[in-house]
Amino acid sequence: MDQRASGELAEAVGTTAGTRAVFVTSAEPSIVRAVVERAHAASLPVVVECADESARRRAVELRAEEWVLAGTGADELAARLHAAVARAVPGGEELSDRVERVEYERMLHDGLTGLPTLPVMIERSRQRFKERGELVVLYFNFVRYSKIEEIYGWEKLDAVLETTAAAVREFLDDTSAQPPRLMVSFMNDDDFIFFHVPATGVAAATDAEITEMVSRLQRHVQTLIEAQHGEDIAALFDIYVGRAHVYYNPKIRIERLLYRGIREAANASRSIEQRERARKVADLRTSLRERGVYVDYHPIVYADTEDIFGYEALARGVMRSLRSPEVMFEVAQEADLIWELSRLCRERALEGLTSKLKPGELLFINVDPHDFADPAFVELQVDDPTRVVIEITERTAIKDYPKFRERLATFRKAGFRFAVDDAGSGYAGLGSIANLEPDFIKLDISLINAIDTNFIKQNLVETMVKFASDHGAKVIAEGVERAEEFRTVRDLGVHLVQGFYLHRPGSTAATVAANAAAAARPRERAAASS
Amino acid sequence: MTKAALPPILVVDDNKDNAEIIRQYLEVRGYPITVASSGEEALALYETVKPALVLLDVMMPGRDGWEVCRIMKQHPELGKTVRVIMVTALNELEDKQEALQTGADDYVAKPFDLATLAATVQRNLAMRTALAS
Repeated sequence: MDQRASGELAEAVGTTAGTRAVFVTSAEPSIVRAVVERAHAASLPVVVECADESARRRAVELRAEEWVLAGTGADELAARLHAAVARAVPGGEELSDRVERVEYERMLHDGLTGLPTLPVMIERSRQRFKERGELVVLYFNFVRYSKIEEIYGWEKLDAVLETTAAAVREFLDDTSAQPPRLMVSFMNDDDFIFFHVPATGVAAATDAEITEMVSRLQRHVQTLIEAQHGEDIAALFDIYVGRAHVYYNPKIRIERLLYRGIREAANASRSIEQRERARKVADLRTSLRERGVYVDYHPIVYADTEDIFGYEALARGVMRSLRSPEVMFEVAQEADLIWELSRLCRERALEGLTSKLKPGELLFINVDPHDFADPAFVELQVDDPTRVVIEITERTAIKDYPKFRERLATFRKAGFRFAVDDAGSGYAGLGSIANLEPDFIKLDISLINAIDTNFIKQNLVETMVKFASDHGAKVIAEGVERAEEFRTVRDLGVHLVQGFYLHRPGSTAATVAANAAAAARPRERAAASS
Repeated sequence: MTKAALPPILVVDDNKDNAEIIRQYLEVRGYPITVASSGEEALALYETVKPALVLLDVMMPGRDGWEVCRIMKQHPELGKTVRVIMVTALNELEDKQEALQTGADDYVAKPFDLATLAATVQRNLAMRTALAS
């Protein structure tokens, strides 16, 4: 402890060796200021003793690390000093340097995947490329990654991207004996770029070798995503890989060569995507002709008794390429076959009303807003319409309002009931939901995912439950996968619940295997979200 | 040292008076508090302070609270365990939905009383402990 009179003090601060903190007891503002400035210049934390409120305010303005009221006990003072030292937070120039460094680092690496950004990768491969004279660019185009975010929320997409990056890293570790042969970068959206520089003395990989490597990587990524996130998500997206060979040319700048290569590879991946889409359309036409659609019935249960209330019918393609309903409907949309597909799915789903459901149980069917313009739908004939609930997604329900409501009224008159799907996902406010006068409000899956740990989600669901009760509707929580999520939504007053935690969807032998594969999922998800 | 027992909290607010009131109130309760007066500063301090919880004002010049929250939650190590409470004057459905998009765990609506703030801090730290075990 070095104690000095105020006159000498300012000079002493920061020059006395071994000092770890400075404690100022002066009431004179100019001295306090001088001391704090000197101390901070020497990166020392300061504790200021304050006689009154204005002194304390001054201390805070000077960004002193700590302050104590005059006359505080020794214990408190020690604690404050300790805290000040423990923090020793940088200020002034050092802090702004650090702000810059953080920004800079964010430019070099993608925070989520830990992979280098493109400029970094170009810098790293520059020398090798020049020496070796050639380089292969692979462009991995992940189609429908954004759908994951749309359906399950960004947390799920981030988790899937992390899995993807991990799979890619794992693959690289196994593959490249000479480390920098293969480098990868993540494009902020959802695509990955690989640079393959053949090692010195080794021949460049042949096209056949690259094709083989690419398909191995594709399989590896798919397998890992299916294992960690389930078949529904793995079936949702496709990976298309385009490639380009780049040869060193001393007259052209390396960046330009590489960017050209990337563009070429990206275009190649898009044309493969186009080809695959055409193949999927052909698959869909075959499916429509052969009625190759089956239906999963997802049980919806009472939150309190867990008894079955009804089922949601979810149509899936029999063909593997159309297994995911999202993919199947996207393809139909592009090929202008949406009515045909909807009709087939609807017919299949309604068959369950007698074959699958017990009397009194309700059948929830998904209806695309386009269907309301389909004459075949408008004349939908069902023996007992009161057992059928038409689900309309909040995401699209809100367009073309007056006409839409008119159609709804016709159905309502016939006895059908309505559910607003994906409510609370932010597409429409509560006012728009109220306008549809739904009998059921199905909460968006992203609200339920990890709701037990997130108080904002709990608050939102509480709001929705109250809103529903005010409007004579019942709330359904979808995507309940863990016991904690179930308890939370039940305690929040949610009336009905749907999700893997209570029942696995099932109907045909085809889904049994898928369900078995998904068996380990909820546990993993819980671990991933904690 | 009683102070060391409680986890560190980072208070981010461009209004120094607000930050100071929060700091004082929580410090008396034994929490080690670090104050940042902008989003940029908060991010620069993030790895040093390693806060268990961040009280994050939404309306700030430069990087706003939403953006800061998103970046903090994406941090490869700290992002998994940090609890972020948004401090916001907005209390509409849309704001809560926006908060969810950024990964925030909880919110306190302005104007708030300090007891509510402390209770919110407490329940989030309790949740953090529960998740860690």
